Amino acid sequence: MFVASTEFIDAAATQAAALGADPARVFIPHPIQDRTDDEMRALADAAIDDIVKALTGS
Amino acid sequence: MPEVSPAQVGTGPIAAPQMPDDGIVVVVKRDCPTCLLVTPALEQLAGGTEPLDVVVQDDLEPFTHLAGARMDTDLDLSWILDIDTVPTIMRRSGGVEVDRAAGWSRTQWERLTGTADLAPGLPEQRPGCGSLTQDPAVRSGLRVRHEGWRLAARRIQISALDDEMESLFERGFTDGLPVVPPTPVRVLRMLEGTTRAPAEVVAVVPPDLVECTVEKVAINAVMAGCKPEYLPVVLAALEAACTDDFNIHGLLATTWFAGPLIVVNGPIARAIGMNSGVNALGQGNRANATIGRALQLVVRNVGGGRPGGVDRATLGNPGKYTFCFAEDEVGSPWTSLATERGMAEGASAVTLFAAEGVRGMADQTSRTPESLARSFAACLASVTHPRTVIAFDAMLVVCPEHGRVFAEAGWDKARLHAELAELLLLDTDPLLAGVGGLDMGLDPKWAGHKLPKFRDGGLLITYAGGKAGMFSAIIGSWASGPIGSQPVTVEVRS
Amino acid sequence: MSQAPMPDAGLTVLDPTGERSVAMRERLPRLDTLSGRRVALLDITKARGDVFLDQLEQHLVRRGALVTRYAKPTFTKPAPVDLRQEIAMQCEVVIEALAD
Repeated sequence: MFVASTEFIDAAATQAAALGADPARVFIPHPIQDRTDDEMRALADAAIDDIVKALTGS
Repeated sequence: MPEVSPAQVGTGPIAAPQMPDDGIVVVVKRDCPTCLLVTPALEQLAGGTEPLDVVVQDDLEPFTHLAGARMDTDLDLSWILDIDTVPTIMRRSGGVEVDRAAGWSRTQWERLTGTADLAPGLPEQRPGCGSLTQDPAVRSGLRVRHEGWRLAARRIQISALDDEMESLFERGFTDGLPVVPPTPVRVLRMLEGTTRAPAEVVAVVPPDLVECTVEKVAINAVMAGCKPEYLPVVLAALEAACTDDFNIHGLLATTWFAGPLIVVNGPIARAIGMNSGVNALGQGNRANATIGRALQLVVRNVGGGRPGGVDRATLGNPGKYTFCFAEDEVGSPWTSLATERGMAEGASAVTLFAAEGVRGMADQTSRTPESLARSFAACLASVTHPRTVIAFDAMLVVCPEHGRVFAEAGWDKARLHAELAELLLLDTDPLLAGVGGLDMGLDPKWAGHKLPKFRDGGLLITYAGGKAGMFSAIIGSWASGPIGSQPVTVEVRS
Repeated sequence: MSQAPMPDAGLTVLDPTGERSVAMRERLPRLDTLSGRRVALLDITKARGDVFLDQLEQHLVRRGALVTRYAKPTFTKPAPVDLRQEIAMQCEVVIEALAD
C-alpha cells in the first residue's frame, strides 16, 4: 500500500492503471512541504487507523 | 492523396511480375517524347536474338507492334525496379539486374545491348522524362501498397462524416494544438528519414514503461509536423530522454516547471535548416518547433505521460509544448556543447537538458569579460531561489554580442566556466534560514562556509542568438545529479 | 434516378499510442492482524516524509508489527529492482510514503 497527499489521487489512479498494480491507498491532507515536525506527526496519528484498516481490514 | 484501406495492405512485399532471367528490359511511357523517339532502337532490338521486355507505364498503343511490349499494371514493376526516369534500359543476367542506363544515349545502349550501329537515324543522346512513379500522388499510393505491410500499428478508421482534426483531439492524441493526421503514407515517408527498421525498439518510454519502436516515433513525428530528415534527431532525443541519467520519468512527474530541452549540435543542424540565430529559442522554424514537439508527443502517447495524470506540474511552462534549438557553431568562438561533452568534432548530437523557462539577462554596459562574468553570476545566483545551493543545474545561452566580449579578450569556454565557478562560490551567511526575516534558507549549521551555487558540471554554456542585442539567456533546471536529472548527450545516427 | 450511397472512404490513421492493455494484478489477501508480522516502511525520500514515517513506525510497533525501514535512493525515480526484491523477500506488507 502507499500513502500520499490528496493532490496525488489522480496520479495514483493513472499510474496504477498503467502499471497494472492496484495497491491500497491512503491519502492525507495536502500540503506537506511546509509542515512543522509536530504537524507531520499529527498527520501520521490521524492516518494510522486508515493504514491499519487497509492492511488488515479492521 | 490516395489512401489505402487496411484490407488492401498485405502482410508482405508484393511479388515482382515476371521478367526474363537473361535479356533486356526497357521501361517507357507514351507521354514522353524520348520514349517515342527511341522506338526505332526498340524495333531493332526486338528483331535481335536476345529476349526484350518493353514495359509501358501509361498507354501500350505506340508500342503494340513490339513483340515484348506489355503494360506495367498498377506500376508495380516500375516501383519494384525503382525507376525514376523513362526510358530506362536494363540488362538482366541469371535473374538479376547487372546494368542500367537512363534516357537515350547511343553509346550506353550499344554497350548495354552489345549491339553495333543502333538506330543510326537517332541523335547521339536525349535526356529522358520522369517516371510516372515519381508523380507525388501516384508515389504515395504505391508506397502504401508496397510498403504498408511493414507498419505494425493499429489502423484507426476515421469516418468521412467526421473531421479528422477534431477526431484526433477527441482521442486525446494531441498536446492541445492540432496534429497532422498520421496516415500510413505519411508515416512511410517519415520512415524514409532513417535507415533503422520500423520494428526496432528505440527506448522504453515512461511512465507506462512501453517499448517504443521506430515506427511509433515516426507516427508521432508526423503528428508533430516533422519532415523525414528530422527523424534521426527525434530518435536520438528519445534515446537520450529515456536513459536513467536523464530520468524523464521523474521530470514528467515532478510538480516543478521543467520539461525536456533538446540542444542540437553538428552538421545535421545545418542540414535540416535549424535556427541557431535570430529568435533561436522562439517560434518560426519548423525543425526547432517540431522536433521538440515530437519528443513530447511520444512521451504523451506512447509513454502515457499526460498533464493531470502522471504529469503533476504545478504551473509547467510553455517550453513543454516544444523546446529545441541548435547551437551556432559557425559563429561561436568556443567548442560546441556536444564536443565539450565528449562527442567527436564533426559528429551530430543531441543534448537533453531538464529545462524550466527562459529568463533574460541584460547587460549592455560591460565591455570587459570580468565585468560581464559578474553580471552572469549575479543572475545565475537567483536560479530556483537565491538561497538554494548545489540543488539545481542551469544552462547559460550566451548571445553573440556577449560572446564577442569574451572572444576579444581571449577567454575560452573553460576560462568562463572557471571564473563563474569562482564567482558562484557563495558565502553562506546571507543564505541562512531566517536571515533578513526570510524563513527559507540553509540550515544554520552551514554558517561561515562557502558553498557552490551549482554542482560540478551543473552549469552548461551554449552559444546562440541574433547578432544584435546584449541579452543572453539563463535556463534553470530541476533537481540535479543522480537524484534528479543529468544532461545526456547522444550521437545522431542516420 | 436514384444513386447508390457513396462508400465511406474516410481516413485511415495509425495509432500513436503504446497500444497496451494491462492485466491488473490482484492485491494479496489482507492480514488478520499486524502483530508479529513483518512490515516494510519504504521512504520515497521526499522532504518531510521521514518525520511522518518515524511516527507511523511507533504506531505500528505498538500494534506488535516487526518494522523494517527502507528508502528509495531518490524520489524522482522508480525504486531499483534490487530494493524491491529485498523488500519482497523480507517483508509481508509494504507501506510506501510520502508522495506530495
